[in-house]
Amino acid sequence: MTAEAVFSANAVTKFYDMGEVRVHALRGVDLELYSGEMMVLLGPSGSGKSTLLNILGGLDRASDGTVLYRGFDITRAKDKELTQYRRSHVGFVFQFYNLIPSLTAMENVAAVTEIAKNPMKPADALDLVGLGDRLHHFPSQLSGGQQQRVAIARAIAKRPSVLLCDEPTGALDSETGIVVLEAIDKVNRELGAATAVITHNADIAGMADRVVHMSNGNVSHVDRNANRRNPKDLHW
Amino acid sequence: MRALDRKLFRDLWAVRGQVIAISCVLAGGIATYVMAASTLDSLQRTQARLYREFRFPELFAGVTRAPQSVAARISALPGIAAVETRVVAPANMELAGYEQPVSGQIVGLPTAPGQFNLLHLHAGRLPEPGRDREALVSDGFAKAHKLQPGFSLQVTINGRKQRLDIVGVASTPEFIYQLAPGSIVPDFKTYCIVWMNAAPLEGAFNMTGAFNQLAATLERGTRVEDAMIAVDEILGYYGGLGSHGRKDQVSHRYLSEEFKQLTIMSTMFPAIFLSVAAFLLNVVVGRLMTTQRSQIATLKAFGYSTAAIVGHFLKFTLVIVIIGTALGIAFGAWMGSGLSRLYMDVYRFPYLDYAIRAGVLQVSFTVSILAAGAGTLFAVLKAAAESPAVAMQPANPGLYRRSLFENRWLSQPTRMIIRNIERRPVKTLLSIGGIAMSTAILILGGFWGDAVDYMVFAQLRRAQLDDITVTFFQPVSTRAMYSLLSLPGVTFAEPTRSVAARFRFEQRTYRTALQGMEPGGRLRRLLNKKLERVELPEEGIILTDHLAKMLGIKTGQLLTVELLEGSRAVREVPVAGVVSEYIGVFGYMRRDTLNRFLREGDRASGAYLSVDSQAIPALYEKLKTIPAVAGSAARAQALKSFYETLAAQMLTFALFNTLLASTIAIGVVYNTVRISLSERSRELASLRVLGYTRGEVAYILLGELTILVFIAIPTGLLTGHGLAYFMATTAQTELFRVPFVIEPSTYAMAAMVVFTATVVSAFFVGRKINHLDLVEVLKARE
Repeated sequence: MTAEAVFSANAVTKFYDMGEVRVHALRGVDLELYSGEMMVLLGPSGSGKSTLLNILGGLDRASDGTVLYRGFDITRAKDKELTQYRRSHVGFVFQFYNLIPSLTAMENVAAVTEIAKNPMKPADALDLVGLGDRLHHFPSQLSGGQQQRVAIARAIAKRPSVLLCDEPTGALDSETGIVVLEAIDKVNRELGAATAVITHNADIAGMADRVVHMSNGNVSHVDRNANRRNPKDLHW
Repeated sequence: MRALDRKLFRDLWAVRGQVIAISCVLAGGIATYVMAASTLDSLQRTQARLYREFRFPELFAGVTRAPQSVAARISALPGIAAVETRVVAPANMELAGYEQPVSGQIVGLPTAPGQFNLLHLHAGRLPEPGRDREALVSDGFAKAHKLQPGFSLQVTINGRKQRLDIVGVASTPEFIYQLAPGSIVPDFKTYCIVWMNAAPLEGAFNMTGAFNQLAATLERGTRVEDAMIAVDEILGYYGGLGSHGRKDQVSHRYLSEEFKQLTIMSTMFPAIFLSVAAFLLNVVVGRLMTTQRSQIATLKAFGYSTAAIVGHFLKFTLVIVIIGTALGIAFGAWMGSGLSRLYMDVYRFPYLDYAIRAGVLQVSFTVSILAAGAGTLFAVLKAAAESPAVAMQPANPGLYRRSLFENRWLSQPTRMIIRNIERRPVKTLLSIGGIAMSTAILILGGFWGDAVDYMVFAQLRRAQLDDITVTFFQPVSTRAMYSLLSLPGVTFAEPTRSVAARFRFEQRTYRTALQGMEPGGRLRRLLNKKLERVELPEEGIILTDHLAKMLGIKTGQLLTVELLEGSRAVREVPVAGVVSEYIGVFGYMRRDTLNRFLREGDRASGAYLSVDSQAIPALYEKLKTIPAVAGSAARAQALKSFYETLAAQMLTFALFNTLLASTIAIGVVYNTVRISLSERSRELASLRVLGYTRGEVAYILLGELTILVFIAIPTGLLTGHGLAYFMATTAQTELFRVPFVIEPSTYAMAAMVVFTATVVSAFFVGRKINHLDLVEVLKARE
């Protein structure tokens, strides 16, 4: 792999103290994510994949170990620096879309482009996810799949170096889910953002360059797909 | 404890900040109610008891001099139950060690045990029969000078100086409120009531076998107006000064006015507080229902009835009602006993049974339950009625639309703010209303201070410019002014003639003093509303504006003036204008015109003096020795006592007022922002994840509040203006009028207090933005 590593996680551990019990969510994870790569993190619930994604996205801090984003140690970053980091470099896609109900599709995207340094035009971002004709619809006027695509447009409009998707199809039926994955696939190819998709759905793994299997707070093994499959060919 | 009740307490604990805020607003309403209602109730009960126990008469009449036989004729009138006569005279007094002159009244005590206005002895005993020098003094005066039986007092009775030995301290229902003629508030240091045996007093005034005051009680079913006509007819022959009922008895009048104010206070303020509390409960419970939508559905799925669920949430409200009402009653009782003590300082009740009666408590609970119930019930019923299947689905994303007030240059956060405000117009309006009300209450508090300051300014700095006012026992020739000018420090003396008169227009009559003034007088001026001088015409009368209003007479119309002294002439006089005054109502004429009207020479019944302030003590000493002088009053002293009496009350009220208004402001603001935060925490946390800073997220949350507050404050200033105007108009009586004056500083202060309250509560909620859980929003829906 010649591409530059966007993230390199080194012996990352994370535990939560829940009263008298200490819950280990991550137990020394080593992982790298490369520029332009499409990675799928696969594992059952409780395997630690969301925790890992949150740490990569600067939402949570590792208890131990380091995570370097292009050489910048985000595990030691201050709160302000993390906000700045998310603002400039990370695109998030949530399981439940988390759109702002009082803003239209275009305004939801604009909410992010307004604070970004070199963003796309909101309309272009929505075009990219196939919603060029829904610019002025409010979330309540859009289907679940459409809302998720607005969320993807919102995530990529700032031209992030990484796109982090937490169960992006979790709330959708398979047909709609595939449309959403197509959108993710498309932006990954066209914008070259390193993309990590969390899922517990093994069928989605086919669209990745690399599939990272997680269980019990650790990476159990990594598969490499010789050929990324088009999400259109996936089904579950 | 049942599981559901345990849930109730945990729910309450989770929103404890709001529970406290609402309880405090509720408590504010109940406290003002309990304070005003219990004080009013206690004062009224005490008054009724005093009137009964100390036999307060029902009809009062003054006369120049009537022989005792007249009393028998009056008691034989139909409808009159009992009659008592006495001699009452104005007097000048001196107290050893007190520089200023003291004025007052001397009341003759009947030889046989009296029938009316019995005395309550605070100390000592009644004068013994035949002991001419023994006297009682009023308790206010005794208290102000720390007098006890055994002290003595120099009294000038009809020009003769005499020492009286104080044998007791007393009070009576007719002098609960004691006001020296011409003063605006009671001054117990310089005004005294003295009771002594009738015989020496009658002797001194050449009234043996005669009387100048009469009191009577009426038989059941007799109209006091009918009795007054009959009494006046008889007394008229002897120089009757006109009779009146309790309604016009000075002390009774003032008390009634005070009761009226307390009644307004016990209704208006609680109404504002309780409606704000109802609104807050509605908002908070409405929010609770939203967050518990699926729990309610689950409970219903398990077989809980709608009634059981409604009952469960009503208990939530009930807890707030109990906390708020209990707090309110406790605080109200404390304020009420404080207020009663303030009243006791001004109103000389011999005792006050301060008690909060069960009725007041019942009303408190009922009213707060009603207010809280009204606020809660709708939200609860709506939530409980939803079918469980629907309620278990996640709620749909809120419906929004583009707002009317936006353009394409607005940032997205600003759009969010505006659309949120517009999405719930009722809630927005009520929030604005709540904050506006707290602003209005502050204006109302400040208004009293401004009005009093203005009153003092107008009356004592523009209209009454004399340093000392001297009154004579008998009208004297104006040549006496030369004698006055020869007294120490006196630089100018302006004569005045005052006479009791009855004014009549159409069927309305009013009895008051008609004052003869010098045209172009230097020390007393008649002023209009704008404080501009009103000149006295050669002929014609000028009336206090309120008197003209009461009589329904306009400038240019003819007023029938009946003099009640001297010539007792009756004449039609054109009304030449009105003047603006705040204390009492009077008629004014040129003194020379009045002298002619009285068919007397160039005479004065008093004088206004301009005095070099350093010479005032010497002047007092001198005045005390002049037999013709009945009394003297100092403007500086009047001003001082006015402020002393009012300052304590004003300060206390201002403090309560600010406290109560801030409670509302904080209650409304805190709840509005807190609810907003809880409704939108997911949205705001999402934005944080997307890279918004804390400040940017706070802007969205607090921007909405800022807009509300900026609309609410001007609204509140206007509302306060309106409420103050209402208070000023309802407080208009012939005893006093409150000028409608609000200083810019009052508006500024009100706006500032509300703004500060906003900033403080915004700060507390704003801190919670730091604790938004960024990880949680990626997960399940709320």
